[in-house]
Amino acid sequence: MKRRNFLKGICAASAVAATMTPSGLLAKDAPKGGNVLSYDAAVKAITGGKAVADSAKVSLTVPEIAENGAVVPVKVNVESPMTEADHVKAIHVLTTKNGNSRCADVMLTPMNAKGYFATRVKLGGTQDIVALVEMSDGNFLRAAKPVKVTIGGCG
Amino acid sequence: MAEARKSMIKFKPKKFKVGDTIKVDFIVIHPMDTGLKKNKKTGEIKPAHYIDNITFSLDGKPFTTMKVWETVSTNPYFSVNLKVPGKGKVTVDYTDNTGEKNSKSKKLKPKG
Repeated sequence: MKRRNFLKGICAASAVAATMTPSGLLAKDAPKGGNVLSYDAAVKAITGGKAVADSAKVSLTVPEIAENGAVVPVKVNVESPMTEADHVKAIHVLTTKNGNSRCADVMLTPMNAKGYFATRVKLGGTQDIVALVEMSDGNFLRAAKPVKVTIGGCG
Repeated sequence: MAEARKSMIKFKPKKFKVGDTIKVDFIVIHPMDTGLKKNKKTGEIKPAHYIDNITFSLDGKPFTTMKVWETVSTNPYFSVNLKVPGKGKVTVDYTDNTGEKNSKSKKLKPKG
């Protein structure tokens, strides 16, 4: 009973959230101040200027079209043995046009056994979602995918 | 410590054995306000209020940590994997940018 009520609460809250669009979230619309880090600045902050290689080992799953920019599912899977010697150190989820391009940094360990992370993010408008992956050997890998955001009611 | 927020840890699949790699899902009721929106009634900006740090531990040993920003959706969902070493307890400790601290635990009970 408790779980059913909890889930009801989540569905109701999500329904409310779904009717709101994350206005002001795009870099060009956001008021100054607060967390404002452009995509290029964020990548530099993460990699320290080190080279990043687009890699097929990073599989990034996002919808091609997001009807609601407030809740966009993101799934990252990195091919890795996840051993002490060779594992995913961190998965950084970024967006290219939000005022704050950073969404989440996930520091994994061999206990995870898989280089996997999933979440849901806000997109202020059509842009790319990027998975920037740091491996235990210090190398950076990347996968990026565009998401079209349609804001507006039914149809 | 009593939990101030509603949250849930889910293991997928529900039934698993020692040595299996399962999904650990964590979902929490939290506004994740960006600080960019106005309260429609008062016209005042709703201050940024979002979860910023999460630590997943197994019997006190951290196995995943996360840094999170306000760009993650309201009532956020996070999912990672865990290879099951045996019986234990998974704990998710999380804080938000106001300094509010919360914790949720779930027993890990492998069959066989």
